[in-house]
Amino acid sequence: MAGWVKVGPAGGVGPGEMQSFGIEDRQVAVANVEGDLHAFDDVCTHQQCSLAEGDLDGTVVECPCHGSQFDVTSGEAVQGPATDPVGVFEIREQDGELQVLLTEE
Amino acid sequence: VTAFVIVGAGLGGATVAGTLREEGFDGEVVLIGAEPMPPYERPPLSKEYLRGESGHHFVRPAEWYEEQGVDARFGVRAEHVNLTDRVVELTGGERVPFDQVVIATGARNRRPKIEGLELEGVYDLRFAPDSDAIREAARNGSKAVLVGMGFIGAEVAASLRHLGLDVTVVEFFGTPLERVLGPELGGAIEALHRDHGVEMIFRDGAERFEGDGRFEAVLTKEGRRIEGDFAIVGVGVEPVTEVAEGGVPVDDGIPVDATLRTAAEGVWAIGDVARHDHPVFGPIRVEHFDNASKMGEHVGRNLLGADAVFDDAHWFWSDQYDANIQMAGYATEWDDMIVRGSIEERSFSAFLLKGGQLLSTFSMNRKFDVRRSMPLIASKAHPDRAVLEDPEFDLRELHPPKEDAS
Repeated sequence: MAGWVKVGPAGGVGPGEMQSFGIEDRQVAVANVEGDLHAFDDVCTHQQCSLAEGDLDGTVVECPCHGSQFDVTSGEAVQGPATDPVGVFEIREQDGELQVLLTEE
Repeated sequence: VTAFVIVGAGLGGATVAGTLREEGFDGEVVLIGAEPMPPYERPPLSKEYLRGESGHHFVRPAEWYEEQGVDARFGVRAEHVNLTDRVVELTGGERVPFDQVVIATGARNRRPKIEGLELEGVYDLRFAPDSDAIREAARNGSKAVLVGMGFIGAEVAASLRHLGLDVTVVEFFGTPLERVLGPELGGAIEALHRDHGVEMIFRDGAERFEGDGRFEAVLTKEGRRIEGDFAIVGVGVEPVTEVAEGGVPVDDGIPVDATLRTAAEGVWAIGDVARHDHPVFGPIRVEHFDNASKMGEHVGRNLLGADAVFDDAHWFWSDQYDANIQMAGYATEWDDMIVRGSIEERSFSAFLLKGGQLLSTFSMNRKFDVRRSMPLIASKAHPDRAVLEDPEFDLRELHPPKEDAS
């Protein structure tokens, strides 16, 4: 499936919060950084833990399993042990929905 | 031109080189390592790599060193840091001049004096080829005998059970990891392994490895005879200090001050080999992944003049079966242990305190508490019992304000 996909209601993720949404066979995390929404693959590239279960500090999410850190705006791994970035998605709130732009895998 | 020479190309040494380049240093960097492979991460060697689920995780891509103009000498052993001539002497006689040198030689497995240790089929685990050999033995065998149940023994036991082997462990102390965790938390590790079918024999040790040319059984001090297809010895490590001897002072590793400087001018030490004068814990030598990485970054910046104290609270993880285990801080003794969650249900954190000060946090399957407790440990906090016991309490509420907050 490609294109804009509803993951939840608009306004569902509050400032400083993260939530994970299952969309078909993938898991997408949404982080709210001071009102700005960012969406990324909710699978740590080190050992596949959920990043949405970790801590968000500014734009950096920390994996709760092994401490890898990613910048949620770019997906870049900023602290190991993970070295590969996580995928990021465009995100918008429209028609009362929280939507992410999925591309063909 | 300034030349920085790094002796030891594990995670720590490679991280120094990476940090120097990331910080914009474009002068000479020489990275010398005895292993022929580019620097790789060791944690998978007892876990996913051993189980055949992953390849190696390289600290930097193999081509990074050449691309970045780092003079990488892999498969080359450094013999001596010569302080008089300011050179690192390599096997074969080459002398590499340095302005400043970082010793990151790590640790090696302790080789206990046990008869038969050299028999074929008796392994230990430190380097990639060790993990390859154990995986091959696991493929051809059905029963392993482990001597020692520290983190390596516990992780290898979990991996071998995952591969379907029978595992028997002989451990000198009364629980796994008792020396690090104490008997109660060690007991939680024991229960985890018992439920996964590991046979554990405590308060006993290997007296002799027996076999006609190849390992057949361990004879223990208490007179047991434990047969198996192969054996793995994991009884701790010792720092690799030979390059420093006769020059840089050595005393249970290489002592460094709070900024990671040794007593010798222009000589630094990091990682497993460094006995660091930690501002919270005092002189400690830490044998974990995250410390090597953090010290590597830190010394890289200090080489370029940052002159900063290393005060990381220390943290490590261990994955065993489906359990995520984490620990932060450092405690050799404590007078209070406060538990949140349930040890029986294997979802708990244990806070180790002395005189009310939080020294260390251990968790099993409670992924938040350990890392959130690190700022408390680093700031020598004395948290209330009630908040530590409360599984719902978010430890971040106790964090000291950030110094760099703007």
